[in-house]
Amino acid sequence: MQIPQDLIDTAKLKLKSVQSEAEFFQLRSQYLGKKSFVISSFTELKSLDPDSKVSAAKELNILKSKLSHLFEVALEGMQAKTDVSLLDTTLPADPYFVGAEHPIAEISQRVIHYFSPLNYQVFSGNEIETDFFNFEALNFPENHPARQMHDTFYLNAGKKSEYLLRTHTSNSQIHAMLREPLPLYMLSPGRVYRCDSDTTHLPMFTQIEGLVVDEDVSFGDLKGIIINFLEYFFNEKMEVRFRPSYFPFTEPSAEVDIKFGNNGWLEVLGCGMVHPNVLKGCNIDTQRYRGFAFGMGIERLAMLYYGVDDIRDFYSSNLDFLNQFSS
Amino acid sequence: MKVQYSYLKNYLSTDLSQAKLADVFTKVGFECESDGSIIDFDITPNRGDVLSLRGLQREFQAQQSKAFKDKLYYEKLTFKKDKTIINTIDKSGCGNYQLMLVRGLHSVKELDKKKRNFLIAAGVPLIHPLVDLGNYVMLEMGTPMHVFDLDHLELPLNIAFPASKKNSFQAIGGDTKIVESASLTIQDQNGIQAIAGIIGGHETSVSKSTKSVAVEAAFFNPAKIANQARKYGLATDASHRFERGVDPALQQKALARFLFLLKEIARYDLIDCYEGSSVKLKPTAISLNVERFNNFSGLSLSAKKIKLFLETLGFTSILTKTDHLKFQVPSYRFDMELEEDLYEEILRCYGYDNIPINPPKSGPVAKVTDHSASEKLKGGLVFGGFQELMHMPFVSTETFNALNSNDWSPAELSNPINENEPLMRGSLFGSLFSAINLNVKKGYSAIKFFEHGNVFHKIKNDFAQESHISGLIYFHESQKTWSDKSFQYDFYSLKAEVLKLLETLRVKSIQLVPNSSATIFTANAMDIFVGKKKIGMLGEINPTSTQKLIKNPAFGFEIYPEKISTKSSALKLKPVSKFPSSSRDLNILINQSYSYAQIETVLLNSKIKFLHSLALANTFEGKGIPDGSISMTLRFMFQSPVKSLKESEINASMDNAFHLLNKALKAKIRS
Repeated sequence: MQIPQDLIDTAKLKLKSVQSEAEFFQLRSQYLGKKSFVISSFTELKSLDPDSKVSAAKELNILKSKLSHLFEVALEGMQAKTDVSLLDTTLPADPYFVGAEHPIAEISQRVIHYFSPLNYQVFSGNEIETDFFNFEALNFPENHPARQMHDTFYLNAGKKSEYLLRTHTSNSQIHAMLREPLPLYMLSPGRVYRCDSDTTHLPMFTQIEGLVVDEDVSFGDLKGIIINFLEYFFNEKMEVRFRPSYFPFTEPSAEVDIKFGNNGWLEVLGCGMVHPNVLKGCNIDTQRYRGFAFGMGIERLAMLYYGVDDIRDFYSSNLDFLNQFSS
Repeated sequence: MKVQYSYLKNYLSTDLSQAKLADVFTKVGFECESDGSIIDFDITPNRGDVLSLRGLQREFQAQQSKAFKDKLYYEKLTFKKDKTIINTIDKSGCGNYQLMLVRGLHSVKELDKKKRNFLIAAGVPLIHPLVDLGNYVMLEMGTPMHVFDLDHLELPLNIAFPASKKNSFQAIGGDTKIVESASLTIQDQNGIQAIAGIIGGHETSVSKSTKSVAVEAAFFNPAKIANQARKYGLATDASHRFERGVDPALQQKALARFLFLLKEIARYDLIDCYEGSSVKLKPTAISLNVERFNNFSGLSLSAKKIKLFLETLGFTSILTKTDHLKFQVPSYRFDMELEEDLYEEILRCYGYDNIPINPPKSGPVAKVTDHSASEKLKGGLVFGGFQELMHMPFVSTETFNALNSNDWSPAELSNPINENEPLMRGSLFGSLFSAINLNVKKGYSAIKFFEHGNVFHKIKNDFAQESHISGLIYFHESQKTWSDKSFQYDFYSLKAEVLKLLETLRVKSIQLVPNSSATIFTANAMDIFVGKKKIGMLGEINPTSTQKLIKNPAFGFEIYPEKISTKSSALKLKPVSKFPSSSRDLNILINQSYSYAQIETVLLNSKIKFLHSLALANTFEGKGIPDGSISMTLRFMFQSPVKSLKESEINASMDNAFHLLNKALKAKIRS
């Protein structure tokens, strides 16, 4: 007796296209009804010799049970679907809250994510700081015109020692150099303050500075990591320009410009080789160690990255603005 | 410093366009911005020597590998020493002092139009032809000059710090300044006639009727001038230059130039020049090791090339010994002290962009740093639907007090940007309340915000900074959906929110302890403890603490991430039971004065056999319940790790549980 090999497969295929219960039962009787191949074949068994009769009967029984199972499952599935009351699944979802990181926090993390795998440790530091850590140890002599570049907030303190709101996160670098073993690879993210407010300046903004103190670091190393970082950050190959500048704590100092979008050169960060006076002040042997440092304003990077025109938007707590960062 | 492009172009004899010229200077460290036909140079405080046409010319020619060539014309002058003209000089404040006396002036004309336009473009107002001429020479050579009306000056002069602490002095323009003894002054026989390097006196200023003048050119010590002008609320072109350092070798030459140009605009009868005794400044010499430079920069320049670069900038080579070079610093450079200072000059000439680029290096194995708890908490909040906000940390005294739960002394600014907000925040809630208020006005009705930042307070003579993460949930009493399902947020939702956050971070042994006296919250508030450490608070916001910013109920929490340990101790896992669990309910009546926490404590601290967990299934008060009592349905779950429990074992534990509650809290079975 010839048993078709693809009987189960074709049954499966036909079941898939069944649209109604009537169609289903029609199909089931086609495969398992009296006139179906399987059932009618049982009557034909009589005419076979005893040996082939046994093996054919076994084969037919397996086939029958497989088909029955197939149709049982299909029927259950069909009934489960029709038993529920039908919903308009396109109606709105229940209310839900979508949270989001603040864009400044997100951009800060993006910067940290580049440097973390390079084993830069993160030190956040104090926002209220003494004059020593914010200026003196960073080679800003008292009365030096360089101090006028930083409009500083001062605090009313009981004693003589001057407390101020840090004007950059470099204070964390001094603390770390005095405390941590060398070589030192670090980032200092955080808030900084300048007594200045207009459309492009806020009295508080966010900085991330980096510092490396190691043997044999060169200006070429500094250039390498800055360019690589900027390409990672903006996710594209970039034209990057280094030009001489002045910071009391680095010598030589450089400003870094990029070409981004359709603008001309845009200043994105400052950097340089750590001034020997700064290293010496932290008891570091300048014959053995050298350092480089860099610093960037996160608001500026965020404005470029997201195309924000007004720096004040970041601190406006306006959901119309902020909700755009969650979708 | 603003310079007219057309004027500069002629001065430098160059054909470069305005943009190209600006680019040349920007690339060597003098950032330029163009404003119409004017180039505005951003001269950094270390480079006072470039605050003149002469300085710009020197830099420009160095870029073309040409040494500076002076092309100005000068009169020939001889300077005499005479105590009846210049008597004493305080050498700590004044390096040299030169005076040119011009008598019998007549037919004084204005400067020619080109020079006048040049001055106006530079932002230097036109005052009097002789003053304008002094200013012109200053812009040309970098040497500030002062012109006194000689007929109002009672010679000789003394260059001295005032003897008394406070001296009244009427400055040009008529303002009276109280001159302190730290300010160097020019005094004649009648007293102070100028604050050195900052401003001249009203009395001796030149006017239309001026017939004779004394023209001053001097070198004042930058350290003695620094910050002085600010004290008097003044910032003059002269003080700007003196603070940064004026070339001490140029004063007599500047007077010679002044006289040369004076002849173009005036006639005079007599010229006399005097010099005060001067301090010979010892030129600075700096050694340079070529190999060290090349290691430092990543370059491989030859000694010859290095010498060439520095010489075009005016440095004099005084020693060449294979790898060891030594240079004398020109008198106008006040920023040269160390070998690294020379490195910068060489690299500026070589071009920063030409320095090779090395691949990034990484540091030694990093340690786990301190801010992982806050990052995790923030991640949890974002996932929980909170929008992060950031605010300025300045607050008013009222706001600080309204949120001052800990009796903190505020950290106060002595120069706040807004005098109504002189304090540093002691809580993050103030700005969050304003943020809710702002967004409710915009039409938002259900809001979840959080902020992460530092709060501050004063401790004796020091200041403390603490990291906070504070969250605020604002809900209209109930939010209804289109299907009429209502969403409510209450104290217990808040509790769930905070516990979910902390437990997801695997913070161990969290305890919530009622605290009804926190300023920010109503009596419905709790402290969050981990062991004995308080790591935060949560509660219903006290409407009075919001200073009328929030009217509907709001819920808030604050967590101190620095207090949460992120050191992940290895988890200790218990074996998972393979045996079935059974649950039993117990209906009790209990006096309302007992808290649920007390029930929990009694049951969970008593080691009831096989008790796996406890839950509150229901509470009921009202009909059928005696006044002052509450009915509670407690749901016990029993399970053994080693066997299936028998009915009798479970019953025994349930009896024990009731017995404990009855004994400790007088609980009764509710029939």
